[in-house]
Amino acid sequence: MYAIAIHGGAGAVPRATLAAERERNYRAGLEAALDGGYAVLERGGASLDAVATAVRLLEDHPSFNAGHGAALTRDGAAELDAAIMDGSRLRAGAVASVRHVKNPIELARRVMEKSRHVLLVGAGAEEFALEEHFSLVPNQYFRTPERLEQLASEQRGERVSDLVPPAAHGTVGAVARDASGNLAAATSTGGMTNKRPGRVGDSPIIGAGTYAKNGVCAVSATGHGEYFIRAVAAHHVCAAVEYRGFTLEQAVHELLHVILRTLGGDGGLIAIDHAGRIVMDFSTEGMFRGARDASGRREIAIY
Amino acid sequence: MSRRNITVILLALLAGTAGSVCNAAPAPASAPVAIVIHGGAGVIERSRMTPERAASYRAGLGAALDAGYEVLERGGSSLDAVVAAVRQLEDDPQFNAGRGAVLNQDGDAELDAAIMDGAGPRAGAVAGVHHVRNPIELARLVMDKSPHVLLVAGGAEEFALEQGMVLVPRSYFRTEAREHELQEARRAAAARATGKPTTLIALPAGLPSMGTVGAVALDRAGNLAAATSTGGLTNKHRGRVGDTPLIGAGTYASNDSCAVSGTGEGEYYIRQVVAYDVCALVQYRRMSLAQAVHEVVQVKLRRTGGEGGVIALDRSGNIAMDFNSAGMFRGARDSRGRREIAMYRDAGD
Repeated sequence: MYAIAIHGGAGAVPRATLAAERERNYRAGLEAALDGGYAVLERGGASLDAVATAVRLLEDHPSFNAGHGAALTRDGAAELDAAIMDGSRLRAGAVASVRHVKNPIELARRVMEKSRHVLLVGAGAEEFALEEHFSLVPNQYFRTPERLEQLASEQRGERVSDLVPPAAHGTVGAVARDASGNLAAATSTGGMTNKRPGRVGDSPIIGAGTYAKNGVCAVSATGHGEYFIRAVAAHHVCAAVEYRGFTLEQAVHELLHVILRTLGGDGGLIAIDHAGRIVMDFSTEGMFRGARDASGRREIAIY
Repeated sequence: MSRRNITVILLALLAGTAGSVCNAAPAPASAPVAIVIHGGAGVIERSRMTPERAASYRAGLGAALDAGYEVLERGGSSLDAVVAAVRQLEDDPQFNAGRGAVLNQDGDAELDAAIMDGAGPRAGAVAGVHHVRNPIELARLVMDKSPHVLLVAGGAEEFALEQGMVLVPRSYFRTEAREHELQEARRAAAARATGKPTTLIALPAGLPSMGTVGAVALDRAGNLAAATSTGGLTNKHRGRVGDTPLIGAGTYASNDSCAVSGTGEGEYYIRQVVAYDVCALVQYRRMSLAQAVHEVVQVKLRRTGGEGGVIALDRSGNIAMDFNSAGMFRGARDSRGRREIAMYRDAGD
């Protein structure tokens, strides 16, 4: 069974602050990404293409913390990370700390397909982008009035809502299984609002925020990245399935509600197993998420 | 998942946590201490290794091994021991880390390092730095003094300055031997280039291109730690980051399982999450440390064509050093009287 799940970040989602109009906006963005990815699977496309499509749509949507509308560093710049993994061949590509790449997920995919490497960072990643004929964009492209305002209030010492637009924990991602049984995962983020330049979270780290292995599972995480790195979160979920015979649901539950809770980190993740079963779980108040599969399931949820 | 299953998992985890707490309590002076180091898996071909060079590598490895061991012997922490050993290897121009690191396509050393405290789990790492004399010390500061795990490039160096570190010019890292290697690698790449130009260049065989350095240690309190530092690949693309600074790939330590430092073709180590996989096999498959290392290095990495090795250590003081390459610079020393340094397959060489 082919299936796709997406997320648009996890965090505190105070129902009161999420006005009906904004909620509709988020739901519409999630739906467009979910359906965009699903359409790839429906016409027999690869899971890799499906996750890249869904994530690109979320990167382009200004309300989510990735690509256009990403959270800003303490210097007021967008600094972006992304990773993609192909579970059929254990291939992976990732970029971190890029400032001028419109769709970091596409550059991550190019790293996977056109270089011998997995991870390129900073100016070197952008040099590779130019060598691969990407057009770079000014950093200003990513900055939205909402993110500038959010940065300013955080720098004034006011507590920034983790969400609306989702910031502290706002990452976007997708996992999919195609009709051939191939699994793929993709994640993209601007990281934390007011972050230190050069800080890299779990998103572009294979095994931490992103992982896919055919026959086992594909995972994309969102949350307090440092904890997900220390716990090797995405690979931990797959190792629990592969080595301990856990169901995907058990594996995700243990990671989020036992291991990360003990460490003091919160967040959420989406995962899909070899049969196309989807798990979406989180330890925060909410997680923007969506799932759609060939059996007719189609859902979008926040709380 | 049924409530019963959740309860079972919770109980198992609580038991594990309680166990760690007990084990972390002051241990008798007879508790084993041990340190294992590596200086890379890209060892010079045996035919090109002169007795003088062999003696010089052995002396470098011995100095790092003993520097780390002395910390453990006087009751110091495994974290301090792995830093002492790795710093020594970074300062030794023979090894591919710190001074004498290999040079990237621009002719600069571009350095990565990571450290992990098995008692935490806490970790710190840096990647793509050009002006930090001892990257392992900066990785430690990231762990100890920031809420983050990984800082890269200019942002990492900004943090170094904020922490009062003195930066050094790029020329500090360059050695004549590495300049020569870079020229050779460029020539080899130019010769290979046919039709479509490639930006990403394989290394000529025989150069110690996989010469990452690393250490794992067990202290008297029963805590494990791991540290790894590297200049990466000769003639590498600017911005390329290998497995070394990625927690779970090239570096991992947990008191629940083991401590691992890897060296080899980093991209394979990242995709297979090698260091964490060794520990997951120990913890969840109940493999011995030697079995787990063998499974990962000789079976899983070999299957994909990934060349290299790992060093690993568990809380009982079991040591594993394994590689699927021609050789691996390595050394081990423990409180049971073992002290060895080796380069090729047969330990005595």
